[in-house]
Amino acid sequence: MSATEETIKDIIVKIVHCDREILTPTATFQDMKADSLDMVQVLVALEDEFGIEIPDEDAQKFQNFGDFVAYMQARIAEKGSA
Amino acid sequence: MLKDKVALVTGSSRGIGRAIALKLAEEGADVIINFFRRRQAAEQTAKDIESLGVTAKVVKANVGDPEKIDEMFDIIGSSFGRLDIFINNAASGLPRSALDLDTKGWEWTMDINAKAFLLCTQRAVKLMEGRGGKIVTISSLGSHLVLPGYVAIGISKAALEALTRYLAIELAPKGICVNAVAASLVTTEAGMLYARVAKEQLGEAFPWQTTPAGRLVAPEDVANVVAFLCSEEAFMIRGQIIIVDGGTSLVPFGFMSTGG
Repeated sequence: MSATEETIKDIIVKIVHCDREILTPTATFQDMKADSLDMVQVLVALEDEFGIEIPDEDAQKFQNFGDFVAYMQARIAEKGSA
Repeated sequence: MLKDKVALVTGSSRGIGRAIALKLAEEGADVIINFFRRRQAAEQTAKDIESLGVTAKVVKANVGDPEKIDEMFDIIGSSFGRLDIFINNAASGLPRSALDLDTKGWEWTMDINAKAFLLCTQRAVKLMEGRGGKIVTISSLGSHLVLPGYVAIGISKAALEALTRYLAIELAPKGICVNAVAASLVTTEAGMLYARVAKEQLGEAFPWQTTPAGRLVAPEDVANVVAFLCSEEAFMIRGQIIIVDGGTSLVPFGFMSTGG
């Protein structure tokens, strides 16, 4: 498990108040019982944490936690190589 | 009419904010497009504005965060050095009843819809100092009418309208005009999303299929009034809430098809 994934979990657990254990790759945002405000706040917190931008146009494509982590890892790698 | 003016429109990637940005650009103003979540839409708005022969600048900022407001105004200051028009349009909120509204939802809505108006105005005035300016904020009928699931937004709009009056008087000696435009349901993505929620709660009783004027309010209807308030013709209008609703708020018991 990567440091990025751990940080994403920290932020989701803090904002959504869900159990860390449910954050498996196939977990959906419904599984986390996250409402739309929770989701926006998670995205904003991640943007600030990693210094990247996650526009809604991208965020709307995430089906589950696994997609989300893969996207974040790609974006962070992109930023690192820029 | 607004040639050589610099305008900031918060939340202008889409909806009412986009229509206002385009209208001010048509009148000749250079426009700063602020967005929070929709970069592609903001860039499209900027492109459409530039095609009108004026300058557009895209600035990302969550206006619910005071630090991000400061960063946005620092960029405006260094890019343009001044501001003539500030349109406080960005808004957010969750459809909740009062008993379901938690502190997180309250703070989120109040920060973006009401507090941001104060903090942005404090920074905008510094860029208008000595030259005057126009400030218009976007409100809604929910500031004084009870709409389904609208409690948090309604409260924030009421605060914003009160602030409009106080600012109008405090900023009058600086030659800055402050007013608000309050619309009923507007045919935007956010407006239609809200309409769906309200319809679920009200069913057939949902009143806003149209207005006495024969159609729903379009973003351009709001933009036209905002542009007028930004003109010199509106100089003596201060601290007013101009309602743009096709007459909706005058008919609390529904539409009278006979006209009386």
